[in-house]
Amino acid sequence: MALKALDIYKLLPKKNCKECGDPTCLTFAMKLAQGKAEPDLCPYLDEEAKNILGASTRPPIQKVTVGMGTLSFTVGDEFVFYRHEKTFYHQPGILYAVSDTESDDRIREVISQVRGCKVTRIGIDLLLNGIAISADSGSSERFVAAISTVVSGNPDLPLVLMASEPAIMEAGLAVCGNYLPLIRGAGDKNIEEFCSLAKKYGAPLVVSGSDLQRLAANVTRCTGLGVTQMMLDLSGTEGEFVRTSTLVRQTALARSVPGLGYPVFLDARTTGFSGLITGIVKFASVIVVNPLSRTEMQAALVMRQNIYTDPQKPIQMTPGLYRVGTPGRDDPVFLTVNFSLTYFTLQGYLESTRRSCWLLIVDTEGMSVLTAVAAGKLSESVVKDAIEKFAVADEVNNKTIIIPGYASPLSGRIEEYTGWKVIVGPRDAAEIASFIEEELK
Amino acid sequence: MMISYTPGWTASIREVVIGATAAEGGTRRISYRIGGESDLPCIGQGKKPLIAFEICDDPALWPDVVRSACTKLIDNPPAWASYVDTTLQADLIRLNLTSTRRRNFDAYDSVGKTVTAILAATSLPLIIEGSADAEIDSEVFQRCGEAGEKERLVLGTAEAARYRSVAAAAIAYGHSVIAQSPIDVNLAKQLNILLREAGVPDDRVIIDPYTGALGYGFEYTYSTMERIRFAALKGDADLAMPMICAPSDTLTIKEIRGAVHNHETAVSWEVATSVAAALAGATILVVRHPGSLTQLRKAIDSLWNPEVF
Repeated sequence: MALKALDIYKLLPKKNCKECGDPTCLTFAMKLAQGKAEPDLCPYLDEEAKNILGASTRPPIQKVTVGMGTLSFTVGDEFVFYRHEKTFYHQPGILYAVSDTESDDRIREVISQVRGCKVTRIGIDLLLNGIAISADSGSSERFVAAISTVVSGNPDLPLVLMASEPAIMEAGLAVCGNYLPLIRGAGDKNIEEFCSLAKKYGAPLVVSGSDLQRLAANVTRCTGLGVTQMMLDLSGTEGEFVRTSTLVRQTALARSVPGLGYPVFLDARTTGFSGLITGIVKFASVIVVNPLSRTEMQAALVMRQNIYTDPQKPIQMTPGLYRVGTPGRDDPVFLTVNFSLTYFTLQGYLESTRRSCWLLIVDTEGMSVLTAVAAGKLSESVVKDAIEKFAVADEVNNKTIIIPGYASPLSGRIEEYTGWKVIVGPRDAAEIASFIEEELK
Repeated sequence: MMISYTPGWTASIREVVIGATAAEGGTRRISYRIGGESDLPCIGQGKKPLIAFEICDDPALWPDVVRSACTKLIDNPPAWASYVDTTLQADLIRLNLTSTRRRNFDAYDSVGKTVTAILAATSLPLIIEGSADAEIDSEVFQRCGEAGEKERLVLGTAEAARYRSVAAAAIAYGHSVIAQSPIDVNLAKQLNILLREAGVPDDRVIIDPYTGALGYGFEYTYSTMERIRFAALKGDADLAMPMICAPSDTLTIKEIRGAVHNHETAVSWEVATSVAAALAGATILVVRHPGSLTQLRKAIDSLWNPEVF
């Protein structure tokens, strides 16, 4: 169980020496309780206190890194069950699977799909994370050949090696073990062999078990054998996965079963796209999937971006005067807030009208129109400042501005304060087309 | 050491009945009792979400990608409904009366006729999406309600600023209401209270927390749905209604309008959004692209398969 700040405080020296960087032991205790500080920062802790604190302030889900270099990715280190409680921190790695029974040409084709998949949204590049190679041929030589095809020219691409035969896995690791691939294949019967491979190469290990009890016991055995970087294999149908990953996340957050405090691995090769989406929203940290169609891949990457967006920090647009189409001096000026959802929705509807116009984005600290009006973040002075700052009058002939329907209570004050004529637009961006047709002929 | 799931919930989602069979006084071949879940989606004994397919009576305002996928049916709503029923095999049909969105709309008689024609063309339960303008709501919802009397329709959409007409039609003719609020738990709750005060029984309300498009704020919808479900299971009776998700905004985003493979894109994005919404707690999923149905059906069947680890 996680300790509360006061329980932690009792274990501290209470010297208020400030050497940890905090003004008092109590504030340091509060940070420890929230997982925002490490016990090691205190030079005066006795061994027993260190042990207790180390175990209880460690993240409930171990942090694990796959791969090396700029494309490597880190997962785990999560603290909540619902993203709205705080946020989900480390988005799952998505890796395309190849089999060592496939031709080298096919494997190269999948590599180029992974390499060329970039989707750019709201200024952020969304990428697939690597390649998973599965030993289906039963031959070490073939497995090694497939791995070599991937690694030669792509040593930076994170890998998952999938083989349940320790000898085959060992042959594969001999080729790429230095790149810290994730290794998957350890189960009830071959734990020792896989642990020694994981230790030899320092590679993270995916552990499975015939049921959750066995899985937790297997992980504990691995810990005893000196392996620290692990993931839990919860692969199954979409329904099985949701049920077990929900249970594992709850158990991990409660810290009630030490063997389950690890990130979750999902092999979605049989469930495909819907398995991938399920994994993204329900706690998977590494997902292996057969190559998808380009549209499925885009939807999945965008879903991952959405779910791992920090709910406490709405994505904001930079305030300014934006062009939709190629507006001229007589085209209308629409005003809206810098909440990205509002902006993108409105922009989408405006573009679909095929009528060029100006879009003036004012700074409401990322609030939507309704909340910004209620909180006073959208006001006549905010509008006036924006009109002046972005020199809107230099771009258009008519000093007229169209405000969102929800901002209609401000229309009079905006007119008085700015001297611009105000037209109240629709509340719903979906009605912008008919509004333009009816009001702006 | 036993690892077992301890939900710790104290309440369940209220049940709502949609559609009426002959035995129940209507003409539908099936009726659905949705809701009743006492746990998170997919966990415990919850029912599978229903998949609704949405059609409209005036395709001019319908997404291009759907128009081009349903070309032979788009101008004939009864034939379209029949196709959705027998070929696409949706669980229910949502009829969107887009004709009422035309300026100066006053063809109220046609509203009743359209609803009657769709009821004749399919024996699936119906959701009717009426007008979106307070000035014509009263007349439109009255005609819809009357034409579907005894069929236990679902009428939409009630919003905080305009809910009285739809509520009145639901009360008068025994239908349920979709209560839509702009992606906000408190506003959803407030609207449910308003509807109750207007006389709509709690077991005839379905929450639509509004589905932001994938990539354009879907995460707000996702979390709002989770929070509504969480509040309901913890005992907040004002939020214990089943939820509906209609990712129709997803079909109008830039990626789909401009895409070369826009049918594939539409299906991928609609399916992804619907699967995630189902996992957040939606019990009715509304799609518009015919290609989405098979994929979504397969995913939902697999998710709600009763086998337990």
